[in-house]
Amino acid sequence: MGTENPGRPNFPMRPSSTPFASALPTMTPFSSRGPMVGSEASNIRPIPPGAPPTMTPFSSAGSSPPTRFSDPSVPSPPITSVPSAGGPFQQYPTPPFPSTVQTTPTRAPPVGQPPFQPPANQISAPPVSFRPQSQVPPVPMVSAPQTVNFPPSSLNVPQPPSESLFSGPRPNFQPTLPPPDLSYSTTKSTFQPPFPAYPSKQPAVSQVPSPFPAQQGSFMPPPPASSSPFSSQQGSYVPPPPIAAPLGYQSRDQMQHPGSAPPIGGIQTLTEDFSSLSLASMPGSIEPGLDYRTLPRPLDGDVEPSSFVEMYPMNCDPRYLRLTTSAIPNSQSLVSRWHLPLGAVVCPLAEAPEGEEVPVINFASTGIIRCRRCRTYVNPYVTFTDAGRKWRCNICSLLNDVPGEYFANLDATGRRIDLDQRPELIKGSVEFVAPTEYMVRPPMPPLYFFLIDVSISAVRSGMIEVVAQTVRSCLDELPGFPRTQIGFITFDSTIHFYNMKSSLMQPQMMVVSDLDDIFVPLPDDLLVNLSESRNVVETFLDSLPSMFQDNVNVESAFGPALKAAFMVMSQLGGKLLIFQNTLPSLGVGRLKLRGDDLRVYGTDKEHILRLPEDPFYKQMAADLTKYQIGVNVYAFSDKYTDIASLGTLAKYTGGQVYYYPSFQSGIHGEKLRHELARDLTRETAWEAVMRIRCGKGIRFTSYHGNFMLRSTDLLALPAVDCDKAYAMQLSLEETLLTTQTVYFQVALLYTASCGERRIRVHTAAAAIVTDLGEMYRQADTGAIVSLFCRLAIEKTLTNKLDDARNSLQVRIVKALREYRNLYAVQHRLGARMIYPESLKFLCLYGLALSKSVPLKGGYADAQLDERCAAGFTMMALPVKKLLKLLYPSLIRIDESLLKPSAQADDFKNIMKRLPLVAESLDSRGLYIYDDGFRFIIWFGRMLSPDIAGNLLGPDFAAELSRVTLHQHDNEMSRRLMGMLKKLRESDPSYYQLSYLVRQGEQPREGLLLLVNLLEDQMGGTSGYVDWIMQIHRQVQQNA
Amino acid sequence: MAYLFGWLLTFFFLISLLAIISYQLMCFADLEFDYINPYDSAARINMVAMPEFVIQAVFCLVCLTTGPSFMCFLSLPYLYYNFRLYRRRRHLVDVTEIYNQLNWEKKQRLVKLGYLIILLVIFIVWLLWTVGNDDY
Repeated sequence: MGTENPGRPNFPMRPSSTPFASALPTMTPFSSRGPMVGSEASNIRPIPPGAPPTMTPFSSAGSSPPTRFSDPSVPSPPITSVPSAGGPFQQYPTPPFPSTVQTTPTRAPPVGQPPFQPPANQISAPPVSFRPQSQVPPVPMVSAPQTVNFPPSSLNVPQPPSESLFSGPRPNFQPTLPPPDLSYSTTKSTFQPPFPAYPSKQPAVSQVPSPFPAQQGSFMPPPPASSSPFSSQQGSYVPPPPIAAPLGYQSRDQMQHPGSAPPIGGIQTLTEDFSSLSLASMPGSIEPGLDYRTLPRPLDGDVEPSSFVEMYPMNCDPRYLRLTTSAIPNSQSLVSRWHLPLGAVVCPLAEAPEGEEVPVINFASTGIIRCRRCRTYVNPYVTFTDAGRKWRCNICSLLNDVPGEYFANLDATGRRIDLDQRPELIKGSVEFVAPTEYMVRPPMPPLYFFLIDVSISAVRSGMIEVVAQTVRSCLDELPGFPRTQIGFITFDSTIHFYNMKSSLMQPQMMVVSDLDDIFVPLPDDLLVNLSESRNVVETFLDSLPSMFQDNVNVESAFGPALKAAFMVMSQLGGKLLIFQNTLPSLGVGRLKLRGDDLRVYGTDKEHILRLPEDPFYKQMAADLTKYQIGVNVYAFSDKYTDIASLGTLAKYTGGQVYYYPSFQSGIHGEKLRHELARDLTRETAWEAVMRIRCGKGIRFTSYHGNFMLRSTDLLALPAVDCDKAYAMQLSLEETLLTTQTVYFQVALLYTASCGERRIRVHTAAAAIVTDLGEMYRQADTGAIVSLFCRLAIEKTLTNKLDDARNSLQVRIVKALREYRNLYAVQHRLGARMIYPESLKFLCLYGLALSKSVPLKGGYADAQLDERCAAGFTMMALPVKKLLKLLYPSLIRIDESLLKPSAQADDFKNIMKRLPLVAESLDSRGLYIYDDGFRFIIWFGRMLSPDIAGNLLGPDFAAELSRVTLHQHDNEMSRRLMGMLKKLRESDPSYYQLSYLVRQGEQPREGLLLLVNLLEDQMGGTSGYVDWIMQIHRQVQQNA
Repeated sequence: MAYLFGWLLTFFFLISLLAIISYQLMCFADLEFDYINPYDSAARINMVAMPEFVIQAVFCLVCLTTGPSFMCFLSLPYLYYNFRLYRRRRHLVDVTEIYNQLNWEKKQRLVKLGYLIILLVIFIVWLLWTVGNDDY
């Protein structure tokens, strides 16, 4: 259980400033720690020999948290208490601690801190605040000199207040403690038996600490209270205890040392710095001593590290910018020991919740305030000097003049007096209205151009109809009214242009069949203003499906049609939506069937299949970007369409690929409708370029995502929206950074749909550290995984899939090994696997990544097109969405469907995610599997027919592959649909189509769900437990 | 006389190869310092890529027939390398990925440049040596 530490991040961040806290450092850690469990035999010793009699109850209680309350002197309170404090147990309700294999408490008291990282404490003073442990003043303040020369062994740390000392007073403040969970008492009982059985290799861990940690997860505020009372409250509550606490400490300390030295300090230090998993096998069992239930899982979804924002409150929100670690290494050598990616993931236009919109600032006549030298925009971190006449750039530290109109006096503290009227000086994210200097040409109107395949397969699948309807229904919501431009081209073996001049009654169609020498039949009127030609456009969309319903043309002149669209659009730029149903077969850019030759797979030539076949596509993509055209590709074919080539168009123009294999309007229509509508109506930034600046000495060196670089550090993004994120890696230019803080500034210059040119600026600061441990502590798994994902996908384009997966694994192993080496000397790590708390999910995401569609297995595991499409999609996903895709949620819903009053407010409770293992599936249950792109609804074999009948109506007995889910007239069905709707609303960027599957329905069940239970071992891939074992083994090799 | 002509020819070929490679390197440097955009840069580099390969092939041929045949053998690896690039269709720089390939492309051309300079030195030494012998 030590690995799961739900409560931790919430632990009160500010170190208490009272002297008491410092006086009792050892206490805080306990409370901040996960339950100290008997798991690790080596760490826990049942009963300290010298323990006073009061100890007994604790030790007998084993690891159960409530022990603290079940102090014999106050027997009753614990039991009567509220069950609110589920803590760590919540997640595995059934047998909370099924086996004796509990991992050790992994976090430890600050005591150990000093020896390991003196520098961290000094340098990163501000950051410390979110790490309670490090914050706590080091022991030496209080305790005997021994602690100063803290030896590696665990022996000499002052024992936390000994039982004897506070056993008296404790009853007094008992009432202030939150009532423990009822469940604790039950768990306690389950523990009791195993506990005594622990071999006591490690000398004396007193049990005292264990109660505190366990509670931690659940009651936030109380633990500190419970710790400080020892000194602070004692005075007030208790008729003065005989010995003052500090005194007691020392005497205790001295007293204990000679004797049965309380080793606890060592364990605490150990547990403070990292989390660990015990891998030692238990005596008498062959199984590795790793219980899959104890492994860490991101069941709460992606948790943004709060540290970043807390340390620098003026930073932009993490939804816009996330660093892989918010502690930037100060030297090359430190970078080389950090084997994880060092960089950032930027989502410049992320959707902000209501009330947190980015403020728009118009400097009008002043002009935008920027640094003369490095062109940094004014931001909250610049400092004003010289009575407000000058400002110092935070990135290059050049002293700039403040323009007259922008001048404001400084107050006594050196802050501008008009600070509260200047959002750009208090907020990390602002938007400036750009004057004409920022325009190469006047801002262009939003432009949507549709390139629609009308060959026979497109007609048959019903795609044309859905597209026409959707576009028509979105006409009112297209951004940029009344300037919006629109145009259409359809193609099969010929290219059809449509004249939509507003004076016409209905559109005129012009057919060009000369594919070798494409020309545009009309100079203008192919691209019209929507509001002027509204009627013609509507007429056209209404008649489009019927126009081609008898088309039997099987060819596709995609290349020439693309060129034609390019010619029409090149004046204005804009967004090109391509609907492609047939492999391009005519004219330039024709493609052939690839991937049929099985012999290629697994060889060095395999990756070529994932690259565009014809240079035409790359060249075209480059030209499109040059003329500010963004491409979104919608591909529908049931056969091979070479997404690898088509997707290139989207990749280099900042677009995305939507892939609907074997599209049938009856089944997939809804998905296409929603996603197309989203694509057309979401707020889009046009003609954009993005640059990220950072302080002296570091530099962004590589960029990953869907865009094209226009110069070494300028990303060209013809059309960008809130669903796109970009990753970048940085490197140090100088061998040693001397500054304390480094600043990052993302600037996105774009044309808003309303025709205004704007610059969106996100600024963030991060500390520079000298200590590797600190980097690990402040690592952000989400950003790291996001970068890993992009790197791995890029690697599949030049290497075998195997190589991509291996290099991913190697990097994880290296990182964990380096981390282990940090602590291997001071601690007996034994067979435990240790990892930083911040990276507890890294292994799991690594596994998920190597099982994700673009990377998994070999030839047979995913179709080539599917693989490529998933690759293009994942290259653009924002962090949250990616993590959801990698570790989808599995939710059991049958119970909540049956419950009479499932209302909106307990939606969160219902949506409790389960681990992705086959054991989670109960054949009496109904489950939703949600990866953000689709829902799979799994009907257990023994699910009550009542539920199935209610949900599926008359066809509940039919084969589920032919059944679609729609609302029936009963409460249960309505509730399910409501639930799905809520889930969909929580993430509108894609529409999740429901697939129904019944247990045992093969092969469908296997393909849809079982293969996605990524923690399970599955045809040659390792399960989570094996994966951990494997990583652990590699970490230990030449460790 | 024919020999002299052959020598001159090979000499000019060598010089032109050197010029082409240096030109490409200059384009890369300009690109790196943001003096030209990737489109122009790629166009310029690709414009001379094929001529380079052809001249190199002809150079080998001329060496074999008229001039110092060992020069031909010395430049065979170069020829093979070019041929391989061409076969894999990697002889042209890719405008979309030009920044990612920048380092590799530059390194490759620097090696070529060094190779050519060594060839040139050997060639001149050999030329002087034979001329000296003739006089003697």
